[in-house]
Amino acid sequence: MTALDRKLLRDLWRMRGQVFAIALVLAAATATFVLSMGVHRSLTETRDAYYARNAFADVFAEMTRAPRGVVQRAAAIPGVRRAEGSIRQYATLDFPDRVEPVRALINSVNEHGRTHLNRLTLRQGRLPEAGHAGEAVVDEAFAKANGLGIGDGVDALIYGRKQPLRIVGIGLAPDYIYAIAPGDLIPDDRRFGIFWMGEKALEAATDRTEAINALSVTLERGARQADVIRKLDALLAPYGGSGAYGRADHLSHAFLDNELMQLDALTQVIPPIFLLVAIFLVYIVLGRMIRTERTQIGLIKAFGYSGWAIGWHYMKFALAIAVLATVLGAVAGVWMGRGMTRLYTEYYHFPFLYYHISPGVFAGAAALSVGAAALGALGGMQEAVRLNPAVAMTPPPPPVYRGGWGERLGRKAGFSAIGHMIVRHIARWPGRSAITVTGVALSMGLLFATMQFVDASRTMIDSWFLRSQRQDLTITFIEPRNEAVLHALAQMPGVLRVEPTRAVAAKISHGNRTERGAIESAPEGAVLTARIDGDGQEIDLPPAGLMLSRQLADKLGVKTGERVTVEMLGGRRTRAFLPVVRIIDEFIGKRAYAADATLQALARDGAPAGAALLRIDPAARDRILAKLKTMPVVLGVTERDAALRKFEQMIDENIFTMLGFYVSFASAIAVGVVYNSARILFSERAHELATLRVLGYHRTEVGMVLLGELALLVVLAVPVGCVAGYWLAQMMTAMFGSDLFRLPFAPSRASYGYSILIVLAAATATALIVGRRVLQLDMVRVLKARE
Amino acid sequence: MTERPAGQESGQSRGLAFRGEELRKIYRTGETEVHALRGVDLAIPAGEMLVLLGPSGSGKSTLLNIIGGLDRATSGRLFYGDTDLTALDDKALTRFRRAEVGFIFQFYNLIPSLTAEENVRLVTNIADNPMDPAEALALVGLAERRDHYPAQLSGGEQQRVAVARAVAKQPGVLLCDEPTGALDSKTGIRVLETLARANRELGATVVIITHNVGIAAMADRVFHFLDGRIARTEVNEHPIAPSEISW
Repeated sequence: MTALDRKLLRDLWRMRGQVFAIALVLAAATATFVLSMGVHRSLTETRDAYYARNAFADVFAEMTRAPRGVVQRAAAIPGVRRAEGSIRQYATLDFPDRVEPVRALINSVNEHGRTHLNRLTLRQGRLPEAGHAGEAVVDEAFAKANGLGIGDGVDALIYGRKQPLRIVGIGLAPDYIYAIAPGDLIPDDRRFGIFWMGEKALEAATDRTEAINALSVTLERGARQADVIRKLDALLAPYGGSGAYGRADHLSHAFLDNELMQLDALTQVIPPIFLLVAIFLVYIVLGRMIRTERTQIGLIKAFGYSGWAIGWHYMKFALAIAVLATVLGAVAGVWMGRGMTRLYTEYYHFPFLYYHISPGVFAGAAALSVGAAALGALGGMQEAVRLNPAVAMTPPPPPVYRGGWGERLGRKAGFSAIGHMIVRHIARWPGRSAITVTGVALSMGLLFATMQFVDASRTMIDSWFLRSQRQDLTITFIEPRNEAVLHALAQMPGVLRVEPTRAVAAKISHGNRTERGAIESAPEGAVLTARIDGDGQEIDLPPAGLMLSRQLADKLGVKTGERVTVEMLGGRRTRAFLPVVRIIDEFIGKRAYAADATLQALARDGAPAGAALLRIDPAARDRILAKLKTMPVVLGVTERDAALRKFEQMIDENIFTMLGFYVSFASAIAVGVVYNSARILFSERAHELATLRVLGYHRTEVGMVLLGELALLVVLAVPVGCVAGYWLAQMMTAMFGSDLFRLPFAPSRASYGYSILIVLAAATATALIVGRRVLQLDMVRVLKARE
Repeated sequence: MTERPAGQESGQSRGLAFRGEELRKIYRTGETEVHALRGVDLAIPAGEMLVLLGPSGSGKSTLLNIIGGLDRATSGRLFYGDTDLTALDDKALTRFRRAEVGFIFQFYNLIPSLTAEENVRLVTNIADNPMDPAEALALVGLAERRDHYPAQLSGGEQQRVAVARAVAKQPGVLLCDEPTGALDSKTGIRVLETLARANRELGATVVIITHNVGIAAMADRVFHFLDGRIARTEVNEHPIAPSEISW
């Protein structure tokens, strides 16, 4: 080992505190990178393998009822490789000892194993056999949540008829990776499950002999999905087709995609912040190191070492930090990735999970940290290379202070000598002071941007669950119903109010963009639903024309006052050219609204209610739910509070895990920045501090010089951090939004407060650790050593 | 000039600024012990000008640091007037420095971010009975340069600011470690003149460490150090003025 390398090792050891503090910040970057890239790739690969193995379809369509022969015609569409028809039917399950409604979505599966698309993976048992009408396979998550096993029985109300089901298999399928009940956001495995029954048995149970109501299609390589969708729509229109759609609009796929997109956003936003701070830190620490080792550098050069040899020596110091950071970050990233993947599998159900991180991810992480460290080291390295040995061996001239803003400020404010020392030192090293302020501010910004996700979720709960949906129960019917059913519901004891709602499937186009969805409406005077704008205002349905949610309007590229083409996929399937009279900033989904009369004019179907909303007396809840179970027309019952609780539970479980990560990561920045700043300050000012002690200043007073400067910088960082956090949070909120939902941006004062407090606490603790050195300051030794 | 055995009191009626008994100082660095002071007895009369002479490592600076309350003796006792400095804790030693001691070092130790006047103010802010900073600067002939930063002053000027800073609190003792070590003869004499003036006009006891034997001629008393002990003491009945010193 060369003497210079020996020096390097000893320098690293001597400065281990600072080295570790920088490595921690860099490690946070690599950890986040390994975490999000690793999880992203693992989930993507798992999903793709699952899709390929189980033949997840490319295009999906639902219709009221079509003869099975339509499948052949769909298969004949150019670009279609395989088409398969099935029946999908919602049902209510009856667990005798439970009052709350439990719903199932029952799919047909060929009894002879001839189902080729969206194939089931059986975990236990077998498929239903022909001739055994009540046999069913149940999805694994639902079975687990409800304690169901092979051989267990459960009564289902299918299409108005009670049918006992016997579980013969437990499995899962690629079209239900994320299985949620209609209108829900989060899976509730106890209250909603996927079932599979034999084709013939389900045909019989739903009065659809040799008929289907769902079609799945895979495409030939190179086929244009839009063309196939157009042809399928034409084919299925006579059978009540509600519009074919690709994977992007498939609920399970879309939710998973949304999750992957968020992971991607995480990779794009978080590591750069840490890398930036790490670059700064390496820059200031190495700069200081070279200044203190100036004489040594001159001496080594005088011995005949080249400038580059010395420059490379300091570069290696930075690279050693990067190596340490990569190892720390990789270990932390793998560990956290495992935890995060496990969290995902609670909501996303796969039959297997590839959790492995490719060497490329580690290489990428290493490249990032090495790159950042090298970039930070460049300035110092250059200085070392350029230093003239003769000049270097003479002591550096004293730092020059001149009157400037620091002095004017101090004089105006009537500072004490100590106050002047603090302010002028900051002004004398504006770059480094700015780095400290920026670092602490970024740490705060990151904390704030993470914390406000809790605010966003709370705002979403308030807006969506409490203000937008004011019903206690939502009841869907087997087929659209009219006034008589609503009247019957209203007569039930304990029911306080009944309101119908309507939603008719439609395609809305603007220019060459088309979106599939539904036009929703509520009768005049309805109070159980409301549309809440981004600023919390309640918006009435427009008297004429359409009101679109911001997401839908953005997708269509339409502005208020422009017209869109509406093609109804329900009712009489009319077409119309309607103005968009308002755009509403909603959080959930791509939605379109119209007044009851407008929708009636479009659908021309006598305005049947698709669902009824009920407000009930809580005391009568159990009785009402029990009664609803026995009503044949009821397809399903959803309790708003159950969905709300599930949502809150998810926030509690996940956001706090996430917050835990980010609080520690953001603290790593604050600690890294404050620790290094403090050490540099201390080394620069040791001489002055010792002088003050000699002059008769007490330790605490001397500590004020050091900690006062840090405190001032940290306090300056607070407003900067609030602005940075606001900006970062806004960017992240926008990046996390998708077709499915958009996060509200509504940061609370508490989030500002907590971020400030956490950063101040981290900074104070770190500063005090360095401040302890003031107590141990050896005046005599410091003053003898010529700076 | 008369000579006496090591450190013994002259028997003058003036009170003593410092009285030390068997002062020892041992530095431990790793496994080696360095005996910097090997049992020093001393008596420094108040208001005198004392010069410490001796080769490097003979214990002069160690003694200066101990009597200035910057360091503690490993054993022995040291009194400032009636106060037992060896019994004081860190806080009390700091108070002692704050109230009684002015230090002047070879390399000035000015705070580079403070102007000349503010460097003086650093001391007057915390002293009990300070003079006006402007007055202290006038005393060293730098009234005109009060708003200059150290980097804008010559070495001699910086040292005179250090002297002004030391005398501004009207200290009981002025301790100077090689105050002219970094200066040319002309500036050095100027600095010594201000020290003599402080001694004369403020009545401060002045202790000067120097390698410059010529400076001993301006002292009332000279301690010659050798191997951690005061080898001999000279009492100078007729101190000369700094301007007469042969450099």
